[in-house]
Amino acid sequence: MTANHQTFLPRRTFLTAGAATLTVLAVPSRLRAQSGEPVLIGVCGPLTGQYAQYGAQWKKGFDLALDEINAGGGINGRPLKYVFEDSQADPRQTVAIARKFVADDKIMVEVGDFSSAASMAASPIYQAAGMVQFGFTNSHPNFTQGGDFIWSNAVNQADEMPLLADFLKELDLKQIAVLYLNSDWGRTAKDILVEAIKKRGCEAVAAEGYLADEKDFRSAIVRIRDAKPDGIALVSYYPDGAQITRQIKNAGLTQTIVAGGSVYSPKFLELGSEAVNGVLTTVPFFPDDPRPEVQKFVQSFAAKFGGQPDAYNGRAYDTFILLATVMRQFGVTRQAIKDGLGKISGVPSVVFGTVKFDPDTRRVANPITSRIKVENGKWVAWKKS
Amino acid sequence: MPSWIGPWFDYTINGIVVGNIYALLAVGLALIYGVSHLINFAHGSIYMVGAYIGWLSITRLGTPLPLTLLVIVIGCGLLGVLVERVALRPLRDAPRIAPLLSTIGVGLVLDQAVQLVFTPDPRGVPSQVSDWRLAIGGGTIGALDILIGAIGLASALLLYLFLRFTKLGWAVRATALDRDAAQQCGVDVNLVNSTVFAIAAALGGVSGLLVGMYYNNIDPNMGYHAGLKGIVAQMIGGMGNVPGAIAGSLILGLIESYGIAALGTSYRNLFAFVVMILILILKPNGIFARGRSLPPEPLTGTFIAPSAPVRLPWPVVSAAIAVAAALPLVVHNGYLLQTLGISWLYGVLAISLTLVAGTAGQISLGHAGLLAIGAYGSALLAMRSGLPVPVSVPLAGLITAGLGTLLLYPSFRLRGHYVTIATLGVGEIVTLVILNWDSLTQGPIGLSAIPPLSAFGAKAISGVWIYEIALVVLLLVAGLQHRLLTSHLGRTMRAMRDDDVAARSYGVVLDRYKALAFGMAGLSAGVAGGVLAHVYSYINHETFTSQVSLLALTMVILGGLGNIAGAVLGSVLLVGLPEVFRFAAEYRMLIYGLALLLLIRFRPQGLLGTQ
Repeated sequence: MTANHQTFLPRRTFLTAGAATLTVLAVPSRLRAQSGEPVLIGVCGPLTGQYAQYGAQWKKGFDLALDEINAGGGINGRPLKYVFEDSQADPRQTVAIARKFVADDKIMVEVGDFSSAASMAASPIYQAAGMVQFGFTNSHPNFTQGGDFIWSNAVNQADEMPLLADFLKELDLKQIAVLYLNSDWGRTAKDILVEAIKKRGCEAVAAEGYLADEKDFRSAIVRIRDAKPDGIALVSYYPDGAQITRQIKNAGLTQTIVAGGSVYSPKFLELGSEAVNGVLTTVPFFPDDPRPEVQKFVQSFAAKFGGQPDAYNGRAYDTFILLATVMRQFGVTRQAIKDGLGKISGVPSVVFGTVKFDPDTRRVANPITSRIKVENGKWVAWKKS
Repeated sequence: MPSWIGPWFDYTINGIVVGNIYALLAVGLALIYGVSHLINFAHGSIYMVGAYIGWLSITRLGTPLPLTLLVIVIGCGLLGVLVERVALRPLRDAPRIAPLLSTIGVGLVLDQAVQLVFTPDPRGVPSQVSDWRLAIGGGTIGALDILIGAIGLASALLLYLFLRFTKLGWAVRATALDRDAAQQCGVDVNLVNSTVFAIAAALGGVSGLLVGMYYNNIDPNMGYHAGLKGIVAQMIGGMGNVPGAIAGSLILGLIESYGIAALGTSYRNLFAFVVMILILILKPNGIFARGRSLPPEPLTGTFIAPSAPVRLPWPVVSAAIAVAAALPLVVHNGYLLQTLGISWLYGVLAISLTLVAGTAGQISLGHAGLLAIGAYGSALLAMRSGLPVPVSVPLAGLITAGLGTLLLYPSFRLRGHYVTIATLGVGEIVTLVILNWDSLTQGPIGLSAIPPLSAFGAKAISGVWIYEIALVVLLLVAGLQHRLLTSHLGRTMRAMRDDDVAARSYGVVLDRYKALAFGMAGLSAGVAGGVLAHVYSYINHETFTSQVSLLALTMVILGGLGNIAGAVLGSVLLVGLPEVFRFAAEYRMLIYGLALLLLIRFRPQGLLGTQ
């Protein structure tokens, strides 16, 4: 593969012998086709603390994307790299990291943080410095209102939740009970979902918010049961989603469970074991999705890490591919990235099919969704029976 | 059965099932507290380690359940002995607060080490118990529920027999009553402590695996919240009371379940903590104690040992202030200035805490609650009433002083560890009220677009401005507090800390001086919170968690209790150290935990000494 790409290298990147030697030493041998100073993305996210698992998922997605980008010539011959600063998703640290990133003129764009409380505390700093803050998991409705340098390709709840409501309606579920994680994300999603359910002539008979550290949902499930729903909707991450499903089954409830796409993960199957069979969800991608960009992603993920990717791997991967494309097309400066994000279109994406931003909201509309369900401990495409 | 009873019956069963799980942890905590008067914050981490040992043993060695449990008992028992030997025994003669901090450090190190080895991903634990279930009312209970209950009861019974009828058990009880006397009678106190830690850790490890199996989920962070619930449960049952811990756990489970029934799932913890505070006020020895006389345990004087503070001469202090103020002229590194700016603001928080914890002797683990009240107060005043930021921040300080004192008033009659737990509860209550009081705080959505700090009409977003404003606030608060401490008020508060009975006999009305200390502390913490809200521009219920309280207390103890300069030093170190260790990425918190342990080990009275 290396030999093929050598021809793409512009000669001007061999600026000084010193720089070239340094880079050759620094990058792995199979990437020696590229030279020049690396282009850096600053990632601010949790590697330790209570959200550490999500930071670990991000890294896999980033690394996979980097392999692909750098094998394809990097950013116009310069290798793309990232600096991952551990923030523990704590605002005290994200603001410090933000100052560090904006002062480092090698860093072109920032990606993260995981939670909105942590990301939004740092937004004023990125905005004032003129550096794009790209919060790819920040679905908080006010996140991108932090300024014109604050962008997000997190799936907008206003897009995703009505699709979930459509699914519920198609399943002929009229009386829906909603269980949601009581965080900024879960709460926003719940509000939109309940609204969408009503609009479709159905009824949300109960809405129970639970706390992030909760493990036991028995009593919440009694409340759900007594609301007599014919379907249960979950707005959860995969660990809590799996837990709730197990406990619903143990309580003897048999209603259909439809969950938001955030439960999509191989871990959901491991943690939920047999109980999660029959759970339905809508996701942007799943392993059997025939789209070529998905197949490429799923296969290279399996080759590099083994196993199947989850939603966070996919979003992290997508984000780096997107930013690399923007930099290739519009140039490698902080301003060019911001301008480029507003103009770019047609970037292939695992989550969206193709990406185009609305320059006013700085978000991407219309994610692709497939309807899938768990059958015999595997995610498979759902077909209307 | 009438139809309305059905759900209540189910809620009762659910409460008992959950309480059953809490009991496993509470028993171990109660045992350690009973013998060494120590709230073991590492207990949750040992519970987590037990779960991982069990997981390894099942998935790698394929051990059957009884053997798995034996492996955990041995593994965690040894770990308990190690923790006692390395982190606690050397601190035997240190101030009583040092071992507490040491357990926090041990917990941090264990959590991080497991996370590094096993990755932070949650894992499923294959259940080795039959999935037989029994229908009760509208729900079911499984074989695992019964096993957990049986292990809880059996361990309590075995402990009782051990303490009552064996020679080592007598030694344990003698040590619990009076360590020095026991030692003089020939009891090997170290052996006793090792035994107790081994038993408690083994029990904790077993419960970790059982709970992991129960939820089919273990992760490296599972210990913290579980440990917190265990502490609340044993508080309800009476600190150090083993059968009480079981009953307290069941009661806690029931209260939570009924709370959910009455108001909804996100009120669960609010109920738990409110009930805990009520019990602390009405029956501080737990609901099974006769009367409400305070326990003979922590006399404040022994809780915080006096030591000679390091005297900082005025020229040194003035020079340090001058250097700090002039720093932005020389250094143009925004990252450094931001980190120091945040350090100054946390320094204000630490100064506030050092007044109540150090000078007045009320060790508080709920100081983040005051910070949150100040932050929300100032943000809401600025956003809803349109007040300029320089007005809203001091006003928020006053609100925090009033509200904070009122909230903490119930803890005034408590002492030692009881104050610590009560304030922990108050801190949690503040967070949970913020989460649930939607109409005022916008609940989990939080407050965004909070106006930035401004000085003389100009917005101060740049790092230099934030740095200087934070420094000015810090100097004002430090100056005010220094003035307070050198007056008769400071003397009276110290008297109250060193011996409250003597202070009372000299005519000191304790409540008034405690209220004064908490009021003053609320003012400065509220101002710090207010400034932070405007620096962050976004806050929600997760911004000021109990972790922040723990951090603040660590700063104060590290710097030296009651010591203003020490509080600032502690803040700079603890905000700065994680930044210094940044190069170590995933290893950073592990290094931080080890550094903390070493500091406590070799300078338990704090870097600058207690004042």
